[in-house]
Amino acid sequence: MNWFCFVWTVLFSMVWQCPAAPSTPSPTAPGSTAQDEVECPSNCVLLIYSNRSTSEAQDPLVMTSTELNPDHYEAQRAAHAVRYYLNTLYGTPFRQLSFSKVHQARTEDLGEAGMKYLLEISVKDSLNKSSEKLCSAEVVYPRGETQQPPKVQISCAASLQLNTSAEEEDFYKRYSAADSAVSGKDIPDSYGHVDPEMVPFWKLAGVASTFIMLNESNENTLYNLAQVAKITQLESQNGQLRLEYVVLLHDMISQVIIIACITTSDD
Amino acid sequence: MLKSGLLFLLLSFSGCAALLFRDIEQQSTTRNYDYTKYHNMSEISAWMEQIVKENPGVVTSQTYGKTFEGRDITLLKISVANPDGKEKKAVWMDCGIHAREWIAPAFCQWFVREVLQTYRTDEKMKEMVQNLDFYVTPVLNIDGYVYTWINETTRLWRKSRSPPPANCTCYGVDLNRNFNANWGTVGVSTDCCSNTYCGESPASEKEAQAVTEFVKNRTKEIICFLTIHSYGQQVLLPYGHPQIMAPNHAELLEAGTGAAKAMTAVHKQEYEAGTPPEILYEFSGSSKDWARLAGIPFSYTFELRDKNEFGFLLPEDQIQPACQEAYAGARHIITYAHDKFFTDSNNAGAVSASITLWVTALTSYLITYVLE
Repeated sequence: MNWFCFVWTVLFSMVWQCPAAPSTPSPTAPGSTAQDEVECPSNCVLLIYSNRSTSEAQDPLVMTSTELNPDHYEAQRAAHAVRYYLNTLYGTPFRQLSFSKVHQARTEDLGEAGMKYLLEISVKDSLNKSSEKLCSAEVVYPRGETQQPPKVQISCAASLQLNTSAEEEDFYKRYSAADSAVSGKDIPDSYGHVDPEMVPFWKLAGVASTFIMLNESNENTLYNLAQVAKITQLESQNGQLRLEYVVLLHDMISQVIIIACITTSDD
Repeated sequence: MLKSGLLFLLLSFSGCAALLFRDIEQQSTTRNYDYTKYHNMSEISAWMEQIVKENPGVVTSQTYGKTFEGRDITLLKISVANPDGKEKKAVWMDCGIHAREWIAPAFCQWFVREVLQTYRTDEKMKEMVQNLDFYVTPVLNIDGYVYTWINETTRLWRKSRSPPPANCTCYGVDLNRNFNANWGTVGVSTDCCSNTYCGESPASEKEAQAVTEFVKNRTKEIICFLTIHSYGQQVLLPYGHPQIMAPNHAELLEAGTGAAKAMTAVHKQEYEAGTPPEILYEFSGSSKDWARLAGIPFSYTFELRDKNEFGFLLPEDQIQPACQEAYAGARHIITYAHDKFFTDSNNAGAVSASITLWVTALTSYLITYVLE
């Protein structure tokens, strides 16, 4: 157990890359029909993400640079990519990071290497809502036909690193016990309600989703967690807390709902 | 004879009591209506009937179309007589064009209640209802809304419920891509399975036709067109197409920015104003774009709470603050539009008075010198 480093190994399979469920007569895109009870099949494509490594050397040749309106969508979408990245590093069931404002933004066209966004943003911490940290971030969206994740790096006026809290320790202890069998569905429910005991699991789903959302991000996407369709606790291996999630992710731009399976375990 | 007399009396009393009890029950219904809970379509329809009953001479209802599945699309009209018999203008508001955005119909109901509770006592509202009628459609995409209430797996439905075209398999058209406003040009999909499918042709959907028919016959009357959505906390002005700009863009931006500021001020939640290509994404075929093109000067899409924590599944304990914010924004724009049309005429009076004064002064000056 190593909560301090917040390393999550996220085993993830995209259900919509899977063969169509037998009850569906013809393939339909997600979000077009009601999603049936989704099981996480083992024959789906498995993608493994670990926490983000810091970026590699940048192309020293600066191409065209354009100032952006920080309130307009281009800068905002890049800031969301930074948000996903921060949560893959530091997010926990009890701590999520986001941004309150983009103060400055510009792009540098790196040609073959992609499009770089340089942002000055204020980062918000759910644990300390009153103080925000000023950060400089860079997001490089690669060019190409197929989806590739953006590369993000960030430096802040003050460190975002925090010690594991007592709350997190208690949470882990309680639910990694041998007889623990957490399960749930539709979180929040249709009325927006989340059972207080399920809140950390809901927040954890959000953090785990940021791995996928970052991986699927490009200049034309903006993802949010719409709902946790299902959560099942898997058998603990070596005292680890292992959870299987089916999450629904909403892309604001295409308005699609993506169904994804995530397995989380702390490492 | 005494027995039948007594029986008659007893029956009369119980009959009266029953009627009285029913009246009390009915009269107390919208007083007990919980505006901070989400209501299904039959509850909303019953509420609409009740509002009409409880506000005779002020509220009427009008069915102006049918959904694909044959349901009546109905609006509430709030109309108070103008004391001088002057010609009135109107405000249009519709909610629930996208089925999963439940906070929107909740706001339309809230808005109606707010207007009815304040039009006799709030000075500005009193003035405005004398000059403006309100047309409010609590749920436009009724088929979609009903669908989202079936169970948890249907909750995130967005589109209408019309059947797929040939060679495609999915239901529904995105009603906010279906209007005849640069239809099919940007930000749409031609794949019927997409959530931004714009339909086979402009206003192919009965719900879009209903709005189009009703509003296009009233474009001189309607000065403000507000269509309510969630989520994102934005006030969107025309146009969704990146290459066209409304002729009154400056005042649209001024009123919209003012609305966003007013909404932010209520509970310190950030709202921003702008055109979709600036602050959201470009798209065509929206109802607000169609309304602006049809000549309605103040046309906006409101995106209500929240930013991204709950999204479409906004908790019921946020209905009140969300509606308070939305009301502040709507009121700002309605006031702006109202004052432009009804205070400017007062200014015109002042202008003609000063012209008269100058003509008189000039004439007397000329007469003095000519006669000299």
